[in-house]
Amino acid sequence: MTVYEETVGVEDIIVYKDVHKWFGNFHVLRGITTTIKRGEVVVVFGPSGSGKSTFIRTINRLEEHQRGDITVDGIAMTNDTRNIDTIRRDVGMVFQSFNLFPHLNVMSNITLAPTKVRKIPAKQAEMLAMELLERVGIPEQADKFPAELSGGQQQRVAIARALAMQPKIMLFDEPTSALDPEMIKEVLDVMHELASSGMTMIVITHEMGFAREVADRMMMFDEGIIVEDGPPAQIFDAPQEERTKLFLSQIL
Amino acid sequence: MSTDSRIITASVLPPPRSVTGIGGWIRVNLVNTWFNIGLTTVFGFILVVALWYGLKWVFFDADWRVIGTLGGRIIIGQYNVEAACPGRDCFWRPQAGLLLVMVLLGMAWSVSGGGLTKRIAVLFAGALVACAFLPYGLDKMGLDVRLLFAANVPALALGWAIARHTRLGTVSWIAVLAFCTFILILVLLRGIPGVPYLKPVSVLYWGGLMLNLLLAVVGIGLSLPIGITLALGRSSRLKVVNLLCVTFIETFRGVPLITLLFMSQVLVPLAFPENFPQNSLVRAAIIITLFSSAYMAENIRGGLQSLHPGQGEAARALGLPVWQTTLFISLPQAIRNVIPAIVGQFISLFKDTSLVYIIGMLDVVEMSRAFIQGNPEYLASAKEVFVFLAAVFWVFTFTMSHVSRRVEQHLGVGKR
Ligand SMILES: Nc1ncnc2c1ncn2[C@@H]1O[C@H](COP(=O)(O)OP(=O)(O)OP(=O)(O)O)[C@@H](O)[C@H]1O
Ligand SMILES: [Mg+2]
Repeated sequence: MTVYEETVGVEDIIVYKDVHKWFGNFHVLRGITTTIKRGEVVVVFGPSGSGKSTFIRTINRLEEHQRGDITVDGIAMTNDTRNIDTIRRDVGMVFQSFNLFPHLNVMSNITLAPTKVRKIPAKQAEMLAMELLERVGIPEQADKFPAELSGGQQQRVAIARALAMQPKIMLFDEPTSALDPEMIKEVLDVMHELASSGMTMIVITHEMGFAREVADRMMMFDEGIIVEDGPPAQIFDAPQEERTKLFLSQIL
Repeated sequence: MSTDSRIITASVLPPPRSVTGIGGWIRVNLVNTWFNIGLTTVFGFILVVALWYGLKWVFFDADWRVIGTLGGRIIIGQYNVEAACPGRDCFWRPQAGLLLVMVLLGMAWSVSGGGLTKRIAVLFAGALVACAFLPYGLDKMGLDVRLLFAANVPALALGWAIARHTRLGTVSWIAVLAFCTFILILVLLRGIPGVPYLKPVSVLYWGGLMLNLLLAVVGIGLSLPIGITLALGRSSRLKVVNLLCVTFIETFRGVPLITLLFMSQVLVPLAFPENFPQNSLVRAAIIITLFSSAYMAENIRGGLQSLHPGQGEAARALGLPVWQTTLFISLPQAIRNVIPAIVGQFISLFKDTSLVYIIGMLDVVEMSRAFIQGNPEYLASAKEVFVFLAAVFWVFTFTMSHVSRRVEQHLGVGKR
């Protein structure tokens, strides 16, 4: 066994080693070290401004880190754009505000990246898109434009769009916090199904019911560090850190 | 239980009479408050007086014979005078060009499936066919000219049939054919030395509405892509590119078009090799295009800035490279957001083509002005001439804004 395999096992899909990030003088991520395994579902939570979004956005280089090492599926996150492109192809992302392309209909939103980036033939991409739309429960909306859909439907299209690239990892940045209460469940159900299919998922959310039921691990962020990291049973029933206890008491 | 029964008995009712129909519209919009009653009265009065005197002048006082005397010069300027075309048999070339445009229009009608394109095609073809029956003597307007005018309707039908029954009936083919047609028209108008029936006609003699339209088509066709390039360059992080674009844009926006045209007489000859086909037409086309591109660039940049940053993030997260993000995500949205400004720029470009008089070209306005000046017996008819010209320009610009509104509605599907 080489040293490499000891530290980065094949089942480790995301490896962070002492990762730091600054916005100007503001130290947002202050040394993140963690390893996420293939198929793991990780829920990230913590107070506003603690760096949760910044953390998951460094996984696909929407934000650049300034110190430390990030490895995604065996590929080192360097300034080499080829590495970045490869990583982005394998990492899907779902945003709080959906960010669907308003000038394209649902079908084109989903098929754009597969046909342009993965160079899949249009027919095949459309078939895949229909499968995904059925999976997220809205096959009848394929020809509509994003503005003609409800928030919950838009977010499900966004999930289908990300899945169409056949990613190995899915990132969710507060996917339900812009939704009306009655639509939250339909999105969480899709995510639940995705998790049970074995997808590696990192989800920022304060839906603690979802976390308890679906997460393998939970990470509590505060002031740019991971304060506590453990299975939901530990986080909810026996939190080790004062800050976790305090935060959970405020939101539960 | 009682609430349930109320829901069941609630029925669909028509809106109250007071808000429907013309009467309803007037009640709601014109006379709903005392202030509006006042406004309506004042403006109604002004409207009636203006209409009364305006129509009275148009139908009774004005002497429109001057337009008849100007005749074909309104459309082609001096293209067919003896000096330009010995034998005066070149009139068919602009007319043939027009027929080609009609074929394209017919194809567009077929592809768009009627609606606005159909109305525009029918109106323009109708107007041209009407020209075939103008009450001139046959010595002034020969049968050949009349036939070529009348051929516009068959040309329209031909285009329609081509698009309907061949593989050329797609938007991309029409775009390609439009480009080829434009080049063909230029060759047709310019002529080829040594070829019978196509003896060269110096661009010095190109004029009239034909000149305005040619310049406008070049300007519109080129200023959009150049403007997009400049806008992207101005948003570029490469300092050199950025600086070049900013300098270009600010230079061309900072100087009046008329000054640029004047300077072009001196500057453009310096910028090109000596054997480059230089003439005032090319110079005017270049200056008008660049001037309009600078404004276009700022319009597009405004559109790019109005985009939600999440759009770029989503595209990047999907792995789209920068150029594809620009091409498929940013530009379509940016352009859609600023269509009114873009069409405004097209309209202003079209009107500005009149300024080429400053470098000695006889566009439709200068043509008419020079005619009046050269024929003092028509001095009294100057009013009629300029009212007529205003109407001609208005027809074209109105068509443009009408098309733009339709395009906006069409692209507005799914707008947030
Ligand atoms: N582009 C930026 N430039 C400067 N500061 C930023 C930028 N993005 C985020 N920040 C700051 O970094 C800090 C962490 O932001 P981040 O979005 O990661 O927090 P978060 O934990 O996701 O919070 P929330 O729950 O509100 O989404 C915040 O104080 C924020 O103001
Ligand atoms: Mg956040």
